Amino acid sequence: MVTDATTAYRPQPGYFDEVFAPDGTPHPHAVSLAAEIAKLGPELLTAAGHRRDAIFVQQGITFDATGEEGPVKDRPFPLDLVPRILPAREWDHIERGLMQRIRALNRFIDDVYHEREIVRAGIVPWRLIVSRSHFARAAHGVRPPGGVYCHVAGCDLVRDADGSWKVLEDNVRTPSGISYVLENRVAMTRLVPQFFQHHRVRPVDHYPQLLLAGLRSVAPSAEDEATVVVWTPGPMNSAYFEHAFLARQMGVELVEASDLVVRDDVLYMRTTAGLRRVHAVYRRLDDDFVDPLEFRPDSLLGVPGLVRAYRAGTVAIANALGTGVADDKAVYHYVPEMIRFYLGEEPILDNVRTYLMADEQQRETALARRHELVFKPTGESGGKGVFIGPSTSKEALDGLADVIRAQPEKWIAQEVVNLSTVPTAMPDGSLAPRHVDLRPFAVFGETIRIVPGGLTRVALTEGSMIVNSSRGGGSKDTWVLEEDTGADVPREGDTQLHEVMPTNMPGLRYGSEWTGQQQQQQQRRAEVGRQDPRGIGRP
Amino acid sequence: MLSRIAQELFWLGRNVARAEHTARMLDGVFQASLQGRPDDPAGVRLGWGSILAIMGSQTDGRPVRRDEVLNRMTLTREEPASVISCVSRAREGARTVRDVISAEMWEAVNTTHLALSAGDLEGRMQMGPYSVFQYVKERSALFWGLTSRTMLRDEARAFLVAGGRIESADMVLRMLRVAMPAPGEHAEGTDGVRDGQALALLQAVGGFQAFRRAVPAPPNAGPVARFLLYERAYPDSVAASVDAVHGALFDADEVPRSSEPVLRLSRLAADLEFRGRAAAEDGNLAEASSLVQSELALIDADIAERYFAGAGAATGTVVA
Repeated sequence: MVTDATTAYRPQPGYFDEVFAPDGTPHPHAVSLAAEIAKLGPELLTAAGHRRDAIFVQQGITFDATGEEGPVKDRPFPLDLVPRILPAREWDHIERGLMQRIRALNRFIDDVYHEREIVRAGIVPWRLIVSRSHFARAAHGVRPPGGVYCHVAGCDLVRDADGSWKVLEDNVRTPSGISYVLENRVAMTRLVPQFFQHHRVRPVDHYPQLLLAGLRSVAPSAEDEATVVVWTPGPMNSAYFEHAFLARQMGVELVEASDLVVRDDVLYMRTTAGLRRVHAVYRRLDDDFVDPLEFRPDSLLGVPGLVRAYRAGTVAIANALGTGVADDKAVYHYVPEMIRFYLGEEPILDNVRTYLMADEQQRETALARRHELVFKPTGESGGKGVFIGPSTSKEALDGLADVIRAQPEKWIAQEVVNLSTVPTAMPDGSLAPRHVDLRPFAVFGETIRIVPGGLTRVALTEGSMIVNSSRGGGSKDTWVLEEDTGADVPREGDTQLHEVMPTNMPGLRYGSEWTGQQQQQQQRRAEVGRQDPRGIGRP
Repeated sequence: MLSRIAQELFWLGRNVARAEHTARMLDGVFQASLQGRPDDPAGVRLGWGSILAIMGSQTDGRPVRRDEVLNRMTLTREEPASVISCVSRAREGARTVRDVISAEMWEAVNTTHLALSAGDLEGRMQMGPYSVFQYVKERSALFWGLTSRTMLRDEARAFLVAGGRIESADMVLRMLRVAMPAPGEHAEGTDGVRDGQALALLQAVGGFQAFRRAVPAPPNAGPVARFLLYERAYPDSVAASVDAVHGALFDADEVPRSSEPVLRLSRLAADLEFRGRAAAEDGNLAEASSLVQSELALIDADIAERYFAGAGAATGTVVA
């Protein structure tokens, strides 16, 4: 039975749907998209899904996950073919909010390792800062070039029931997922080009250029072009695909620890032509592992002496050492205060309401409501160790309360956010609402640049709010429109941009008018004497 | 070998190469055109009108629509520059020289032609032209791969390769000349415009990653044009193609030292080498492309004259 996908679709009551209003009519900016999806129909949508899986497996865009029947290997990355669509006005708001937040976070990191003004002003307790697992004593007193610490940031945003945007987490260590943003867009333009017809979607493929320019701008190099490398823990890392992707797109070397060596406080890589100076390292591993002399002595992934070179200012490391302190979930609680303190501005994007377990009063109030709240360990990322009150058993929550009381500074509690929904294709091609979040990616070089959109992660199970791909989540292409509404775009795939078109291509003289005998016979039957428009001399 | 056969092989190479380049160019421009204007670097891409200009089709000045150009340049048999016309001509050519090329090469060309002629190609174009372009690219790679694996390295192969490479050089030059109009040629041709087009150009010839690895500079108009013109290490650059044509004819010719096309080719190769190594001359890149293009036209005429004269060639109209 074929059902009409769009008329059958009804947003879930109590949640904000980003394409359809509660009565089932699309929002103004999404009218054309909804029409194109309806026109395609469920069967062709499913067929496009099969083509997508085949292409992703061929291109090796796969991941390993833990399914219900144990671990699964090499599954095609689950891209949902219905894009998420954001009008220009909304993106503008998000972009300004993120820039503000990242500027404040960067000031905070600088402050923590230097003057500690925010501590002296009594806003963030010093005890809390030094007890964070990613606080790095080795970074004390070191100011990287340009004063930039979080060169690469990916903040997780969610949208509440009233449609307002909130920041859920700040990822300023090694946020991953940008490769999927770029690959998703390429796949979408290949699989369902007709969806793009009535919109002008802002491109995302310049991210590698932004990143490279950002890294070069902070590299301490006297020469014109600094040598930049991407440092991966190795092919066994779950994000190795992304590391290789970025290195390839930027045209820089992908290095492992064994390729790097420090001599006289200068970082080099071993090449067939001898040692070559490295000016900037985009590292995709945590502080703990970068230098066994300064951090964990048992790290086999590190480069001995790297921190000395960093302190000597001969190499830029992105993100800078010690940046992880701003990634902590207890520090997250203070970000709105940081924005007011450092920038003298009101936060444009709100936090989700958060309770610090280290504060006894907040702790006991929160624990009393433990079946309503979300509990998160402060130093983790990727959804590890998170307990969602409403969907956790009473026994488990009671046990959790004991754990939290034993180590309160390692936990926070947050109100549950009713994540917004976006229509998502089901295996039969029909659409159903599924919950999404958004991770935009920012590059901080000379200025902060944010790629329009970002990674939209979607929970593929009905009602679920867990969007992590390792736990059954998928992703969506995220469209930021150049315009606010989809209605006033007259274009149907025509280019109306300043197109350079020579009036007359200066012609090439190709001497031979000759064609094969066969063709000549055919031509005689067809009309004779037409000129080859390319001037090559064949009709 | 027979002049007629040599010429047939030469054009077989040209048609296969042109089908592939056209497919790559359309694919690159199509993908870029689906999305809005890139905000970094500020710029514009190759447009649909530019494609018609590159291929020398008439536009009569009115704005062109994407679907119209895509269909015309891919599926229209009446359009001599369309992909399907190139493939058909290649197939007819390959049929004529079945005895000279290997059976596998013939089959590769023939199957491509059959696959493009049969089936609902228009439907596939509607659903997404990517699969069609990808098919053409893959089949072209198969053809050249089989050529190097199964065909004797003789005179026949030399003419086949020479045809394929001279077409590559010409296509790249055409794209360069449209994407990078000479300074002063267009009032609105600001640097931003040219930079955006240069990027689209790189993507359209499939050379973006090669550029990234070879050149540390950002992909702006100047560096990209230099790369596509002079970088011998990049197989689709004009310099590499000219080298390959030279090599092929040098091997094929009985007395290459007194062969006009071979001499011209070595002079052009040396000239490209010199220009590539001489101090940056970005201002003259448009002029350089124009000079190289006219020189290639002369070489083409010389080739026809020296090797194919017996095949009953007629001289074409000279367009200055």
